[in-house]
Amino acid sequence: MFFKNPLRKRQAIGSLAGVIIGVIIYVILPQESSEDLLSLGPMNVGHEGLSCTACHTPAKGSLVQQLQANIAFTVGARKKKVDFGTKNVDNNKCLECHDRPNDRHPTYRFEEPKFKDAIAVIDARQCETCHLEHNATRVVLEDATFCKNCHYDLEVINDPIDIPHSTLIKNKEWTTCLQCHDFHGNHIYHTPEKIKDTITLKKVNDYLKGGDDPFTKKKKYYPLSEEEWKKVVNTYKK
Amino acid sequence: MRKVSLQLTKKTMAVLTATFALISCGKGIPEEEGASIASAKAFSVEEVLEMVAAENDITRTLYTKGIVGAGKKQGMKFDEDWQDDEVEAGPLPALFLRGVSADIRKSPVPLGLYLGSDYPINASNKFEGQQAELFKKIKVDRKPQFFYDETQKVHTAMFADVAMAAPCVSCHNQHKNTPKTDWKLGDVMGATTWQYPSDSLSYKEAIGVLNAYRNGTKAIYNAYLAEIAAFKSSEKPVIGDKWPSKGFYLPTAEVFIDSVRQKASYKTMEVLTKKGASIVSN
Repeated sequence: MFFKNPLRKRQAIGSLAGVIIGVIIYVILPQESSEDLLSLGPMNVGHEGLSCTACHTPAKGSLVQQLQANIAFTVGARKKKVDFGTKNVDNNKCLECHDRPNDRHPTYRFEEPKFKDAIAVIDARQCETCHLEHNATRVVLEDATFCKNCHYDLEVINDPIDIPHSTLIKNKEWTTCLQCHDFHGNHIYHTPEKIKDTITLKKVNDYLKGGDDPFTKKKKYYPLSEEEWKKVVNTYKK
Repeated sequence: MRKVSLQLTKKTMAVLTATFALISCGKGIPEEEGASIASAKAFSVEEVLEMVAAENDITRTLYTKGIVGAGKKQGMKFDEDWQDDEVEAGPLPALFLRGVSADIRKSPVPLGLYLGSDYPINASNKFEGQQAELFKKIKVDRKPQFFYDETQKVHTAMFADVAMAAPCVSCHNQHKNTPKTDWKLGDVMGATTWQYPSDSLSYKEAIGVLNAYRNGTKAIYNAYLAEIAAFKSSEKPVIGDKWPSKGFYLPTAEVFIDSVRQKASYKTMEVLTKKGASIVSN
């Protein structure tokens, strides 16, 4: 048959390849053991044990419905797009485990108009700007001098530190901020009053890259584990 | 050969058309209600934000006067770092508002709320840019200012935050980090900034905004009571139906919220019923 029409042979090969790819997609890849194959990269520090489905939860509706909805959006028949396959992993997903009432820099704070110029440089409205997942790190920024985008004109009344904040700012020593202050303010920690007592820049940088916590192990709030998160989600469903 | 490729193209087109037709039949996932009920937009965003800002004024005055002012006289403590482990205190009014704002953000209602000033105790609350310019006008005429924020794509309103209670003035004047020590009762000490993404709201959406604010008030007040429950060395006030003006007491969240509603309901209902009536009669 193949000798009569070479197109038949190509069709057969194509069909076989399709079946093999289909089996891989629908049978092998969804297995838990295949998670590493699908992952965009190694998980960030603290997230190593999480399963894919902790963050990548199914989007609303069937795939066909999602396609229909998005085609409707494309031709202007509906106002909003819908997630396809899995839900978009956004701030709300992060906050399901990391929500902390004492956050000094919550993402929503940067939606105020006054932060317009700052977010043009660093979009602090999104968790992933600093904590982009699948990078085997804690913070993906190249350096930790981001405080300058908002605190460039900081004036501290009754400044308690031996080298005043005004001097540090004048000398553009923006790497010193994190040597005293943790950005989210969750560590139970007394800020030093002498520069010599501050955390070394190396320790801060190591921490940002995923190393040991130089502030303290004591925190006001701890993130939910995957098991705790599942319990909360299941309670919510009931 | 050309014939074969033409046939293939026809087949491909047919398959693509059939697939497109199949997935285009039907509406897919229903749209969220908020996006689809455009027909019943009863309120302008300005009206709704004015309504909720008025509730905020009443809530803040009651908290500042009835809880912080009266509580301090009874020996209760209030602090910026009220959530720190070693601090046993309640939230100062500015932190109370920040708590409301944080809780609103957890709700599905896309409402933003911030507090700022030209002389804030915390430098991060100082107005800049367009907000600073509009605040100058607010200080002169005390009228709300509305604008569309192109960066965030939200309708934005600023309302005067007036020193309505003695503790506003005394605490700010005496605070160790205050940049201004001559505040007087009745001064415009700052402004609240509110954001909402659409220019008009349905009756349901307007109620949603109001409820998001009220739930935020309840959440931060409950967080304060939870902090008190965890006090280790400080005396804990009796929590019930009495207020600090009567002794070492604090009202429950329900009693506090009820008082806010009693004071705010007339004005709020005036706005809601005036506009809501036309929808009901339709």
